[in-house]
Amino acid sequence: MSVKINIHPNLHQFTNDQAIVEVNGNTVGQCLDDLVKQFPEIRRGLFGKDGKLLNYVDIYVNQESSYPEELAKPVKDRDELHITLIIAGG
Amino acid sequence: MLTKDELERYDRQIMIKEVGEEGQEKLKQARIFVAGAGGLGSPVSTYLVAAGVGVIRVVDRDSVELSNLNRQVLHWDEDIGRRKVDSATEKLKKLNQEAEIEAIGETITEANISQLVAGFDLIVDAMDNLPTRYLLNKVALEKNIPFFHGAVYGFQGRAMTIIPGETACLRCVYRGVIPEEKFPVIGVTPAVIGCIQATEVIKYIVGIGQLLTNRLLVYDGLNMKFTEFRVKKDPNCEHCGQLAGDKK
Repeated sequence: MSVKINIHPNLHQFTNDQAIVEVNGNTVGQCLDDLVKQFPEIRRGLFGKDGKLLNYVDIYVNQESSYPEELAKPVKDRDELHITLIIAGG
Repeated sequence: MLTKDELERYDRQIMIKEVGEEGQEKLKQARIFVAGAGGLGSPVSTYLVAAGVGVIRVVDRDSVELSNLNRQVLHWDEDIGRRKVDSATEKLKKLNQEAEIEAIGETITEANISQLVAGFDLIVDAMDNLPTRYLLNKVALEKNIPFFHGAVYGFQGRAMTIIPGETACLRCVYRGVIPEEKFPVIGVTPAVIGCIQATEVIKYIVGIGQLLTNRLLVYDGLNMKFTEFRVKKDPNCEHCGQLAGDKK
């Protein structure tokens, strides 16, 4: 399944400033694995040492929250993912 | 009842058919709690006071610093060292002397938040940290007070409106915590997001339009893009999941 991932601006440092990355996978988790394969440094921006998604990282599939399935959520060919980070400035 | 001066002052918005004199009267009766008198609090308070909201309580613990002035437009060079709530109150009163502005220079805590928001119809989140936003979200749910969220970082911003018992709350959407940090920001970003929050507040008070509920609006100023994410009430949410009297 070919899926586009929109990368949050704060993570562009890990993707050579690419805002959108094409990946393959049948679930959100597999898509993120493929993203990490292409850009290994992004792992520390997404996952904790325990391998779990950091709790300030949110994934949306076709602009709908992937919570609570998150990494297990299935994706289809041409789906679009957004990786967003919580922001809190005021 | 609107006075002759008020009819003239608000003439252009009374002309909006969805607002009219009836809507203006509702704005005059409204009591808004604004948490924060900084980057977001400046545009939110300014446009609510300009629109004729009756009472605004502004709460902020900080004093004005030089590094605030790129974005916190209620505060000027001459205000450096003053309490932000005093500086804000002075400008807001100059903008509209009929508005009642209550200035409270305190830290919002779990111990005082219930008393601070008591008697207010709406809560605006113009804070700069997540723990206080979560406190505001929780008290808004407990007291059944609509809550208007906004946040910024650099050229990015986001906003969402929460109607207790009906829509996703802030904790349904944000489950994590991030450390308090010095964050980058340029003034135009809180200006955009603060104006979106003020628009939502006005719409809610007047009872018009479609609110930004169950939708997280994300603004990317660098690419001038708005993206809307659909969010749902989380039945297991630690703030609203077990709320008594939940409306389905």
